[in-house]
Order: sequence, then C-alpha cells, then structure tokens
Amino acid sequence: MNAMIDDETLDRQLREAAPYIDDEGFTARVMDNLPVAQREPRWLRAMILLGLAILGSGIAYLLSGGFVREGVIQLSNFPIWLLLVFAFGCGLVVGAFAVIFAIRKTPEVRDLARLRF
Amino acid sequence: MELTDADLIARVLVDDDQHAFGELVRRHQSNVRGLLRQLTRTDVSLADDLGQETFIRAYKNIRSFRGEARFSTWLYRIAYNCFRENARKRKELVGVDEKLLQAEHDPQTVDPGLRHDLMHALNLLPLHERTAVVLCCQNGLSHDEAARVLDIPLGTVKTNVLRGREKLKRTLAAWGPN
Repeated sequence: MNAMIDDETLDRQLREAAPYIDDEGFTARVMDNLPVAQREPRWLRAMILLGLAILGSGIAYLLSGGFVREGVIQLSNFPIWLLLVFAFGCGLVVGAFAVIFAIRKTPEVRDLARLRF
Repeated sequence: MELTDADLIARVLVDDDQHAFGELVRRHQSNVRGLLRQLTRTDVSLADDLGQETFIRAYKNIRSFRGEARFSTWLYRIAYNCFRENARKRKELVGVDEKLLQAEHDPQTVDPGLRHDLMHALNLLPLHERTAVVLCCQNGLSHDEAARVLDIPLGTVKTNVLRGREKLKRTLAAWGPN
C-alpha cells in the first residue's frame, strides 16, 4: 500500500482532472428547445389592470348606495390644510408598502452584506 | 464590461431576453454537464440530454430564482433533480450493481491503464458520496450549498464528503506504483 495523499492535494487533482467541456452546439440546442414566450405585451397588462381597477371602483360606488358620494362631499368641506395632511398620510402609507415590496423583491437590498459600495 | 449573472437574469425576467439566457447557458454548461457526466457515470449522451432538460427547466422557472444562492448552485439543484427523476424512471436505483462495484474496487480487476485515473476512481464511489465529492471538492461548493443542492442535512453532506475522500485516497494509494 502506498502513502495516501492529503485532502488539499486530492481536491486540487480533482479540480484539474475535470476538463472544460466545449459547447459544441449545446447552447444552440437548448435555445432551439426553449418554450416560446407567451407573456402578453406590457401595455396590454397595464390596460387590463387599469380596466379592472376602474370596473372595481364603479361597482364599489354603485353598491355603496351614495356613501362614497357623501364622503367626497364631506371631504370637500374640510379645510385645505387638513386635505393636504390627509393626502400626505395616504402617500406615506402607499410609499411604505412600495418600499417593503421592493425590498422583498431585491436580494441585494434584502441582504445588505452583498451590497458593493 | 462583462455582465454578471444577476444582470443577465434581470434581462430574462424583465424583457424575456432569450439572448441573455443563452449567455447564461454558455457560461454554466460545462459545469452542469460535467456534474451530470459524473452522476451518470460518463454516459455522455444521457448527461447532455439531462443538461438540456436542466436549462429548459431553469428558463421556465427562472421567476422562482430568488437570488438567495448562487445561480450555479440553483442550476446544480435542478440538474440533480433531473438526474434523480430520470434514474427513477429508468428504475436504476442509483446505488447501482453492488457486485460490479465490488469487482471494480478490487485492484486486480482494474485495467492497469486506468490505475492512476482519478476520474475512474471517482466513478467507483457510491452515488451519494460521489455526488458530494464532485460538488464540494471538484466544483468548490460549500457543504451548506451542497446540502441545498442535494436536499439533505448538512451533517450528511459532511459525512459523505469525508467518506468519499477517504475511499478515493485508499483507492488511489492501492493503485499507485509499488
């Protein structure tokens, strides 16, 4: 029995023993077999979302039995500074949700250690 | 400036840019096919079919890639799953023929021309040890990353790497010049 090599040497030999495999048309074959993108165009998605939002608002207005209309009339009687505070508060809430959503969708922000400054 | 994997993935996600995906395939095809060749015991044709299936699945499911692991680690996981499903279909319960394995382990039965062939020695390992050694020692994945790829506990990966390495060393020592 011969002397056994150490871990480091074995790992190095394993890395060196693994040859680089030439592409030889592999990528082209993969690309030929990719499914055709079936996503609808962006403008269509935007239109669908906008249409649904308008439809939902209309239905909510009709079903509210005048509640929304009265609310809007009351709101218009508020002093201007109160309306500004109200609008600012709404903006903050929507902005906070947008930031949370963006953080959840962005790995680099989620894991600050990965940021490159 | 060369685009990073993350840049290319973003292009695929935002613009359905298949050229960007093609660049990802070019970058990672060698490692993925290399892993599959080890898993299939150098059945090149089967390995390449599974490699193709791996990248097609990756494209279809790229929205589920959350960037928590490296893209290559994610690809290895898909490749390993493709291999396992294929093995199940072919009813080749991956431990393979133990008698054949024993015969190959016997230095007397091995072709002398292959005695120093590390890759041949690697092929003699049982699948779970071979896979762990290929991922960690050959492809440089951490034990934690390999555990994610193989979907097994971290301790099991460490044990498989340790045992695989020891067996490799013993086999190579036995094949070495007397």
